[in-house]
Amino acid sequence: MIKLKRKKAKPIIPMSSMSDIGFLLLIFIMLISLMNQRHEVKIEYAEATQIEKTQENDNLEIWIDRNGAISVDGEAMDLRELEGIIVSAITLKPATRVHVIADRNTPYRYVNATVMVLQKLQHRVVSLVVREARR
Amino acid sequence: MMHLRQRRIPDDPGNSGSLNDLSFLLIIFFLVIAGFNINKGFLMNLPDRDRPRVVQTEELLRCSVGADGSLSLEGRPVTEGELSGEIKAMREKFPNMTFLLEIDPETPYDRVVYVIHEIRVLKVENFSFRMSGGEP
Repeated sequence: MIKLKRKKAKPIIPMSSMSDIGFLLLIFIMLISLMNQRHEVKIEYAEATQIEKTQENDNLEIWIDRNGAISVDGEAMDLRELEGIIVSAITLKPATRVHVIADRNTPYRYVNATVMVLQKLQHRVVSLVVREARR
Repeated sequence: MMHLRQRRIPDDPGNSGSLNDLSFLLIIFFLVIAGFNINKGFLMNLPDRDRPRVVQTEELLRCSVGADGSLSLEGRPVTEGELSGEIKAMREKFPNMTFLLEIDPETPYDRVVYVIHEIRVLKVENFSFRMSGGEP
């Protein structure tokens, strides 16, 4: 009797689809990061060592430069317009976290004016954004 | 003459193995970039303007920050080191002490951040701040 020996094929894991998956993930993350893109104002951040994460799911960032110019989403505005923006943001999403991002050299009266608007609107919580200092 | 058959050259599929590494490196890059947008700082509770809080004067520590960033406690100029020492001493005496920060309108914001940071480090629960001449 002739003994036929069947040649066993070596198991191969196809890796060619990995690059497709990788690029799909890449496109997904690129789109997400574009959606989350924020309009930054050129400021020098105040620094502190012990800070906490104040980011929430819904956020409203109020930027104040060293000359007291206020902007939200890259649009410059006065206090009256700011009030309207805060009201509409909170009406749409009541859990919106308001962040004040001011330059380290901004005179406090400008920051106070924004805080006063929040107080006027009975908005109790505000995040004062600073950068983590290296120890 | 012997006709030698030419050896068959395998089809070159193109080396795409490095594309995996490249794409995953780019993913890591974008993930890291996305992490830069996270806001960190101090979460402040603003007081109700219509309902001022009553505080016992002996448990109150008043601190002022001048336009030049100079610090003073109860009208007495103090250094940064003295400030934290005084707060610690006051907190030991009155655990429910209230720290009131009065800020000059021209004070640079980073000096205000400095004092808030000290308050947070020293775990003072009752903290209030206002601009000089403004409402608390």
